[in-house]
Amino acid sequence: MSTEEKSAAPRSLAEALRARDDASLAALLRSRPDLITPVPTDLTQLATRAGTRASVLRALEHLDRFALQTAEALAVAADPATYGELLGLLAGDDPDPVVAGALPRALGVLRTRALVWGGDDRLRLVRTARELLAPSPQHPSPTGLGPTVREATAGMSPGRLQEILAAAGLPSTHDPVSAVAALTGLFTDRTRMAALLADAPADAREVLSRLVWGPPYGQVTHDPAAHLRWLLDRGLLLPTAPGTVVLPREVALHLRAGRAHRTPEPVAPPVTAAAAHRPQVVDATAAGQALAALAMVEELLKEWDEGGPAVLRAGGLSVRDLKRTAVALDVSEPVAAFWVELAYAAGLVASDGEADERYAATPAYDEWRELPAEQRWARLAEAWLLGTRTPGLVGGRDAKDRTLSALGPGLDRSAAPEVRHRVLALLARLPEGAAPDTESLLARLRWERPLRGPRRDETDDLRTRLAHWTLQEAELLGVTGRGALSAPGRALIGAGPAAPEEPAPEDAAGPGDKLPVHRHAPVTLPVLSPAEQAVATAAAARVLGPLLPEPLDHVLLQADLTAVAPGPLERPLAEVLGVLADVESKGGATVYRFTPGSVRRALDAGRTAADLHAFLAAHSRTPVPQPLTYLIDDVARRHGRLRVGAASAYVRCDDDATLGEILADRRAAGLGLRRLAPTVLAAGTDPGTLLDGLRAMGFAPAAESAHGDVLVTRADARRTPPRTAPEPVPDGPPAPDDALLAAAIRAIRAGDLAATAPRKPGPGTAPPAGGEPPRTGAAETLATVQAAVLTGASLWIGYVNAEGAATQRVIAPVRVEGGFVTAYDHTADEVRTYPLHRITGVAELADDAG
Amino acid sequence: MNGPLIVQSDKTLLLEVDHEMADACRRAIAPFAELERAPEHIHTYRVTPLGLWNARAAGHDAEQVVDALVEYSRYPVPHALLVDIAETMDRYGRLTLSKHPAHGLVLTTTDRPVLEEVLKSKRITPLVGARIDPDTVAVHPSERGQIKQTLLKLGWPAEDLAGYVDGEAHPIDLAEDGWALRPYQKQAVENFWHGGSGVVVLPCGAGKTLVGAGAMAQARSTTLILVTNTVSARQWKHELVKRTSLTEDEIGEYSGTRKEIRPVTIATYQVLTTRRKGVYPHLELFDSRDWGLIVYDEVHLLPAPVFKFTADLQARRRLGLTATLVREDGRESDVFSLIGPKRFDAPWKEIEAQGYIAPADCVEVRVNLTESERLAYATAEAEEKYRFCATTATKRKVTEAIVRRFAGQQILVIGQYIDQLDELGEHLGAPVIKGDTSNAQREKLFEAFRQGEISVLVVSKVANFSIDLPEATVAVQVSGTFGSRQEEAQRLGRVLRPKADGHQAHFYSVVARDTLDQDFAAHRQRFLAEQGYAYRIMDADELLAES
Repeated sequence: MSTEEKSAAPRSLAEALRARDDASLAALLRSRPDLITPVPTDLTQLATRAGTRASVLRALEHLDRFALQTAEALAVAADPATYGELLGLLAGDDPDPVVAGALPRALGVLRTRALVWGGDDRLRLVRTARELLAPSPQHPSPTGLGPTVREATAGMSPGRLQEILAAAGLPSTHDPVSAVAALTGLFTDRTRMAALLADAPADAREVLSRLVWGPPYGQVTHDPAAHLRWLLDRGLLLPTAPGTVVLPREVALHLRAGRAHRTPEPVAPPVTAAAAHRPQVVDATAAGQALAALAMVEELLKEWDEGGPAVLRAGGLSVRDLKRTAVALDVSEPVAAFWVELAYAAGLVASDGEADERYAATPAYDEWRELPAEQRWARLAEAWLLGTRTPGLVGGRDAKDRTLSALGPGLDRSAAPEVRHRVLALLARLPEGAAPDTESLLARLRWERPLRGPRRDETDDLRTRLAHWTLQEAELLGVTGRGALSAPGRALIGAGPAAPEEPAPEDAAGPGDKLPVHRHAPVTLPVLSPAEQAVATAAAARVLGPLLPEPLDHVLLQADLTAVAPGPLERPLAEVLGVLADVESKGGATVYRFTPGSVRRALDAGRTAADLHAFLAAHSRTPVPQPLTYLIDDVARRHGRLRVGAASAYVRCDDDATLGEILADRRAAGLGLRRLAPTVLAAGTDPGTLLDGLRAMGFAPAAESAHGDVLVTRADARRTPPRTAPEPVPDGPPAPDDALLAAAIRAIRAGDLAATAPRKPGPGTAPPAGGEPPRTGAAETLATVQAAVLTGASLWIGYVNAEGAATQRVIAPVRVEGGFVTAYDHTADEVRTYPLHRITGVAELADDAG
Repeated sequence: MNGPLIVQSDKTLLLEVDHEMADACRRAIAPFAELERAPEHIHTYRVTPLGLWNARAAGHDAEQVVDALVEYSRYPVPHALLVDIAETMDRYGRLTLSKHPAHGLVLTTTDRPVLEEVLKSKRITPLVGARIDPDTVAVHPSERGQIKQTLLKLGWPAEDLAGYVDGEAHPIDLAEDGWALRPYQKQAVENFWHGGSGVVVLPCGAGKTLVGAGAMAQARSTTLILVTNTVSARQWKHELVKRTSLTEDEIGEYSGTRKEIRPVTIATYQVLTTRRKGVYPHLELFDSRDWGLIVYDEVHLLPAPVFKFTADLQARRRLGLTATLVREDGRESDVFSLIGPKRFDAPWKEIEAQGYIAPADCVEVRVNLTESERLAYATAEAEEKYRFCATTATKRKVTEAIVRRFAGQQILVIGQYIDQLDELGEHLGAPVIKGDTSNAQREKLFEAFRQGEISVLVVSKVANFSIDLPEATVAVQVSGTFGSRQEEAQRLGRVLRPKADGHQAHFYSVVARDTLDQDFAAHRQRFLAEQGYAYRIMDADELLAES
């Protein structure tokens, strides 16, 4: 970055930014997308925004461990610090070559993200970041360092200071400032310090060694022991509050041989392989699991086909329903929660929105079912990869101690997609077929995105848990097989077919990867853009297709009344068998069992015994066993011997002839009469109509009490009204693509120019005052806009909105018609339509201004 | 990837028997998977923790199991299942029971946390003594069985290496004059002896008694044999006298009628489990001699109290003999922990294929109830229903027809209801053996049947177990209790004994259509079909018309 500096050193972040080229600005905006929502008007505003606490916090959270350590070191260094000082803090007095090698990269990251600015001789940490990272009694720094001598002696009496100087063997000075300087000078001088400490009593050295790596604070009594007194006298411990002393930063650094961190971690820990399988085995396992996943989702929705479980009032699935579903699917509850959430995320299941709210399959499910297997899988996998809903949380409790239920609220975790992608990306960099050592993978993830602040228990934070879940879920879905990333999984995240040599997909990947760091356009996007993801998903489906076993068209029938399908069946065959027999065991094969009940079900579904015999004969590889034939005939023999029908009314008469007469009467045609027995007619109409009809025909019927009304309802598959899948809830704005970035940078530059540079007076228009929106006449406005449509240029416009407020925007007009301009609004980041008459003026962006 | 095996998610294994690699695969999976069903095309094996531990006890490791699955599987084996198998197998042998020279019986571990975990269990605490070192804890010698049982329940089965007492020596030799142990019997004896204690699984008619005799000849010590009933006890005695150097005087019978204690004593379960005033008066039998070997016949029928006694006998060698490890009461795990792991197993079909058992033809004949019987059946009380349908008069006609068809062959008619059997006996002119038939009378009739003096015998439930009717070629079952699986195996066993002339055996079960009888028959049918026997269903009219 320093090469881009102008001759004069920048005086502020804004100036530093102004000096950066477009590519470097783009890198900044890409790594901190929150800075361009909305697009700032100029670089000053951009710099201000980059310095806000929220934005800096977010930026710090996205740093890898070494970059964070670098920032922490800068926060305890002088402001500004030189590169040499920084290196000293990180590498210690005898520089560790690995740290020295990694530092430029870490510093580059900090500069790219506008957390550090200034040349190597004047490195400055953004003030907010400094405040956040510098040690203070309230927020101890992970470095474990205390305040500087100057800070710690701020309230000390000059006399006491002189006493300390004397005790430390320094000449007295005239004023406290020079006294502090002298003391600091002593503490930072390694030779003199060593000499001073050489005289220290052993107990005192013991105290120092206890405080050296932090926390630097200690308790003393009113009358400290001799060895503590020795330290206090020489200012090696300084009082901060009554009874509390602190080890000054300079002393600690001396004792640490200059290092700010006990263990600098300049190199990303490598992800190691725990096991290597043949890639074919991995792919086959994953494909098998992919099929199992599809079967599972279909079974789940079949289970819920005729009215799923009720929606809890607070939203979600009750624990009991989840349990029931788990039993039905024959999986554990967390796994059941995963499938339910997956179907939900893929938009295949939703609440039906009726008064008595229940879950049901969506119309999208019916479409999904018609897709080929690989595309069905791809849809599920994509929904899983991008979704922010985390089924792993189900059963846990939220901050208010409410149980988190499947499909319920509170399951969105914005970090989920990024972690999933990151885990898969790390897997993709292992050799093909290698399953990772989970601990090394987790260590790597923690290095890439450490928790800020003093080290907490790192095994239980959300990202680690997310990573765990990712590994489990990927296996369930068949994104991985036996722990290793499968070919479809690789395609899903857009990684090449097998490219372990691929450069780091994120700049967070450290030099420890021993890869040439291509940094011309650092790919900082962990997640693909929607369009890229669609391409990757389609590719994944294509890769998966040939891996799936061919559906079979036959089964093996056995005398114990089972049918074994030794592989996935063609859908029509599977559907008929599913009716004709009960599924007994699932997996690579399916075992069906014929029972009288299942055969009756098939007969009920309108098949005849002959149909069934023919069906079995056609699809069996083996002769149909005699007991099975017998079973079908036996059930068919009894099937339908009792008949049940619906009648709304009946006519009873002891005289057969009268009933014959009624039936023969043409006027009775509308009554839907049918003779059930010589003396009974059944009618399709209700008793009232029947009575009226018979009366009209000249009979005198009497009504009987109407207990026997039969109502038949057919259970229908339930569907919700059309529903869209839940939108992922991302953390912050989406990562901008290159076109948007370019446009935004142009806009910012233009705004910046407008704000900072004098403007040439335009023809016939008054030059707008600096930063003011332009003013042009209506005709010129129209002409400029039309010209912009042709050239594709962006314009800076003044605009009065419907509320009468004047704003300025940067737009790229797409077309002009009917008094409206349709344009892409860089400021709002969307396509909008503006009435021409509301545009107060336009100006072309002076993007070539220099 | 075109193997004969398909691994299902419910841990069943489907083996395609016609596949060229099927035999190799069967051998590879047999040590750890239980054959559950063996119909004609696809055999089903089940992988259970007990099965995996049996495999571990037999010296197989997880790697072999996983390799077998992966090698023969047609589709990729779910990773989770492989992990589960490895983890389950890994649990066996973490704890070992052994003899410590100074502390006596001790429980040691190779994995300290496991020991800590089990010691925390409330059920283990009363069974153990002092902690000897971090990896070892003393166990009260009297709790050797109890602790094994409890540890198994906790999922950490212990390997018992504490050894056995030799017992009082007594010379026993096989008298192999004109006959010899079959190779699989030899193998079974060898495996048992090598393993110390355990169960040998052999189908009915495959010569379990000889395996027992072989084990006794190995042990050469006093032996206690536990059998199901008196008839079976006599048969054991007869067989032992014939096949070993033992004489009549050396073998005692300890039953309801006789209480002899000799170097080899055969006791019935019934007498052992007799309770008087809350105590088991015959328990001293176990302590009456220094037994070197205890043989349990028909382990799958072992009554619960015997398990309790067995828990105290862990220092003695124990041999279990059975046709099936499946117990109706689900106490397979007690067999595992108290008697021992499975030491030998041969599927029926394989032994049959070696020509030792006659193949059987199973036919279910469905008879129609008459109209009045149907009405009576529909209105009968629930507990009477089965009796009504099982004893329908039509069954008699069908039975007579079957007996006529196989006239001259040895025919058994089996039933549950005495009235029905009496009536059948009368019509067929055949003697009836039932509960109140004296043992002497029973043996006389059996002998006559064996000699071919009578060709038709009507028997009730009591004849179901451990009787030897070598010449029966046809069995007709007219009624039976609730289609129990093991009963089925027994009944089929009756007609499966090797025949001199290679005749095909027939098994007829006569059931009433559209009744409970038919539902029970469906269980029976399933079981037989699962054992791989040809099974047909006929209408009674068809059968009557044929004859």
